[in-house]
Amino acid sequence: MARLLGSELIKIKRKMILFLVFLGPFGVIALEAVNFGVRYDWLTGVYKDDLWKGLIGEVSMLSVPTILIGLTILTSMIANIEHQTNAWKQLLALPISKTKVYSAKFLLTVILLLISCSLLMVGTIILGLALKFGTSIPLVHLFKMCFYPFLAALPILALQIWLAITLKNQAIPLTVGILGTIISMYAVAFPDWVPWKWPLLLNEWGKPIFSVIAGILLGFIIYLVSILDFSRREVK
Amino acid sequence: MSDLIIKTNKLTKKFGSKRVVNHVDLQVKRGEIYGFLGPNGAGKTTTIRMLLGLARPTKGSIQIFGEDIKKDKISILKKVGSLVEYPSYYGHLTAYENLEAVRILLDAPKSRIDEVLSIVRLTKDAKRPVKGFSLGMKQRLGIATALLGNPELLILDEPTNGLDPSGIIEIRELIKSMPKEHGITIVVSSHLLSEIDQMATQVGIISKVIFQDSISKLRERASSKIKITVNEGESAWKMLLSHGITSDLAQQSIYLENGSDEKVAKVVKSLVDNEYSIYRVEEEKKSLEEIFLELTGKEGGL
Repeated sequence: MARLLGSELIKIKRKMILFLVFLGPFGVIALEAVNFGVRYDWLTGVYKDDLWKGLIGEVSMLSVPTILIGLTILTSMIANIEHQTNAWKQLLALPISKTKVYSAKFLLTVILLLISCSLLMVGTIILGLALKFGTSIPLVHLFKMCFYPFLAALPILALQIWLAITLKNQAIPLTVGILGTIISMYAVAFPDWVPWKWPLLLNEWGKPIFSVIAGILLGFIIYLVSILDFSRREVK
Repeated sequence: MSDLIIKTNKLTKKFGSKRVVNHVDLQVKRGEIYGFLGPNGAGKTTTIRMLLGLARPTKGSIQIFGEDIKKDKISILKKVGSLVEYPSYYGHLTAYENLEAVRILLDAPKSRIDEVLSIVRLTKDAKRPVKGFSLGMKQRLGIATALLGNPELLILDEPTNGLDPSGIIEIRELIKSMPKEHGITIVVSSHLLSEIDQMATQVGIISKVIFQDSISKLRERASSKIKITVNEGESAWKMLLSHGITSDLAQQSIYLENGSDEKVAKVVKSLVDNEYSIYRVEEEKKSLEEIFLELTGKEGGL
């Protein structure tokens, strides 16, 4: 698996993929910098009890759609590397099981998105410090708000990878991903079982961890089903 | 038994109700260049996909190195290099990076990259992005990739497709040199008979039936005729007939089927004795192309 990942890392060179991984969190932080810069007095008034919590809340409101659109583009780009010249037939005629090839792509996207989440966390801290919110940073809460939405979005990630890898026409996974992002923005009103609501970490019990557990479980199930589908498929 | 590298048994593939590959029994021996020939759409690529485990046979079995592809796919593929149809490459990467991405997966030594680059003579262009390569160079990179894992069996599907004459010659020489220099068995498919004729030692023609033998056996099927052109064809033909020599007359030329040397000498002598002017005596071979068309059941071509 380490070798497969090494190979994948070579393939994403010069593909703007690493740039996107950086652009996502940078964009969120930059927008929040503008947000707090423009209406500093008003926002610090609203969040005067806990400035850090206020900032983290504002950041996570933007980060959810960013994660969803980001994973859509990322999965599509990674799959497209193989689709472009139909390199699948070369890759899958190598002595490696199809399951491993698929899992490596999955793992690669997970790692890249985790890097994005970490960058978001670092960026939030830097922004908070720059806004002079003090040094009593609620690290646990910050960690949760940066990584939980991603973990709760795992079913969506699994679905997008599945679509992007098995369909040559990337318009389909991109459309599904963008629609999903839009749906998630209005998902507050949806019932709890809709997976596009989970990244918002809202549920009837008020416990974000439930959304995370559900996300990891369903994500894993979709991953298993998609692996079965992928290894059953014939290579064109 | 161990001499057979590939052995398929009643290999069949259906897409829907259409049989694309029907009861193909391939037998490829060690150290051969096996030319796999057939018209477009005869199922060459589908057969090759099945050999590589990219597609599953509807019926029949495949044994490579004496192992069943269904059970031991990974261990078979370790010893196989392949190039299927047009080359697969990552255009944004250099030739070297392309090879490195595959080398890691094969766990081959790093030095192998330089070796295969020099075999296909791409060492000079190794640091250039592949998207700027000509088709011939991409094709050569594909062959280099196929060679990375030091394969015992090389499966090349239409390796000279879309190449210019010098590219074709280059690839052909490369393929011909490999069994000698590296002890590799090669299966090479093409729809061009002349291609196969110039590199293969063994030939399989796939269509409704499969012809499978050495290329010299195929050439033997090319029976020859002697064509004699004289000034007055018809009267010469009648004269020969009156001397008890049967021949065919077409376009004022006389054709002798299976003319032995003595028979030709006799005919020429009687023509000279009867004062006919002989313009030409030539041997006309039924071309391999005609045999190919006969075997694949598309007589007359156009």
